[in-house]
Amino acid sequence: MDTLGRIKELAAKEFSIDAHGLDPAAPLDTLGIDSLSFIEFMFKVEEEFGVSVSDEDLKAIKTLADLERHVAAALSAAGKA
Amino acid sequence: MRRVAITGIGVISPLGNNLSQFHRSLAEARSGIRALPAELAQGSGVKVAGLVDWSPAPMFKDAEAANLDRVSQFALAAAAEALAASALDLAAADRNRIGVYWGTGMGGGHALEGAYKQVYGAGEWRLRPLTVVMAMSNAAGSNVAVRYGLRGPFANFSTACSSSALALGEAMRAIAAGRADAIVAGGAEALLTPGTLAAWQALRTLAPGDADNPAASCKPFDRRRAGLVLGEGAAAFVLEEESQARARGARIHGLLTGYGNSCDAVHMSRPDRGGQMRAMQQALADAGLAPEDIGYINAHGTATAVGDVVEGEAINAVFGDAEPRVSSTKSLHGHLLGGAGALELAAALLALQEGLLAPTAFLEQPDPAIRLRHVALRAERIAPPRAVMSNSFGFGGSNAVLIAERAAAPAAR
Repeated sequence: MDTLGRIKELAAKEFSIDAHGLDPAAPLDTLGIDSLSFIEFMFKVEEEFGVSVSDEDLKAIKTLADLERHVAAALSAAGKA
Repeated sequence: MRRVAITGIGVISPLGNNLSQFHRSLAEARSGIRALPAELAQGSGVKVAGLVDWSPAPMFKDAEAANLDRVSQFALAAAAEALAASALDLAAADRNRIGVYWGTGMGGGHALEGAYKQVYGAGEWRLRPLTVVMAMSNAAGSNVAVRYGLRGPFANFSTACSSSALALGEAMRAIAAGRADAIVAGGAEALLTPGTLAAWQALRTLAPGDADNPAASCKPFDRRRAGLVLGEGAAAFVLEEESQARARGARIHGLLTGYGNSCDAVHMSRPDRGGQMRAMQQALADAGLAPEDIGYINAHGTATAVGDVVEGEAINAVFGDAEPRVSSTKSLHGHLLGGAGALELAAALLALQEGLLAPTAFLEQPDPAIRLRHVALRAERIAPPRAVMSNSFGFGGSNAVLIAERAAAPAAR
């Protein structure tokens, strides 16, 4: 599964929502994901991919697509992708 | 004068996970105390406890359960039952006038201990971001407020074993004072973790456990009593201003009319007769009742050597010749600590509503130094009394006493 697919699967599990219906471009709050839930979710994303997203980068993430780009960049920098 | 009606009750306990199961177990004197599984006891040396038979499903989805400490799960489940039973229409109600008053001794003990285990045990310092909001003492009550959008007064009380009695008493006062029209009040505790058990064991106050019959390990008021047995669980009540409750035709389980609260102020753990007497006398005065109006007392009765004697003396001094019936249902469900006052009020209401007195189980050899009119071994049925009392006395000398009266009692005084 690609990075976005894995992120969607994780989000679906964490927030009890349907992975197929998830729009990667939708703002997180419209998906019912508030700031506290998102920080807990990021913890699990970092565990899943073995990467670390800085506080600075975290602030820029507004959608699952943003998240996918940061994770992909982190994986690339770490030589994992 | 604004009086306070009890219109809904919810229970999660070692005696069953709803009010009717809890009452049935009390009536049948069926103990919920059992041998601790090895994964909980570990090296603590604790042998028995009142464990809740609990699965978060179907109430909580997997991810949701993982984000709620066990104590918050208990609180939410008890509150859900209480609110459903009350038939209060939250969608139509002014929820700025509905609050939550909760009590817990410790808070999210599982989340806290899990975090410490990870940090100090495994040297892993990367903790879950939700650790703080899962572990904090007010999490259980706040989760109830958030779940139902209850935006009125909120308070969390932590006075050890009197926490939830305090929450109920203060909630009653808040409604009487006009600060809220309804409050979901109660308490929860879930601290049966290896580290917390070890801390309790170190205090040398726990019963060693009856190896032949773990269910009979807690023997309040008995000559053979050997200490308290820890328990876990929750109880929630919907308290409502009486005229509002009557206007909507709510079923009223009783009126909460008396509350006493005092501090011994003499010792951190040794109980004091004077402090307990002051709390009981205050509760009677608050309710405007005489000692003979109280037909039943659900005693604090933890089954410690000193505590049971002191409480017996305090009851004798306050009640004199009135001699109400007395039992400690901790013999059946163990000591719920911060949740004890709420759960035991639910037990006392069984006496108030049905005249069914839950017993001090296993009380075969009453201690002659404790002169009380025990309800021993088996439940008894009497004519429903006018009022019942529930005693809760906590470490730190914090005493809270509640009185509930029959709903049929006249409104005018």
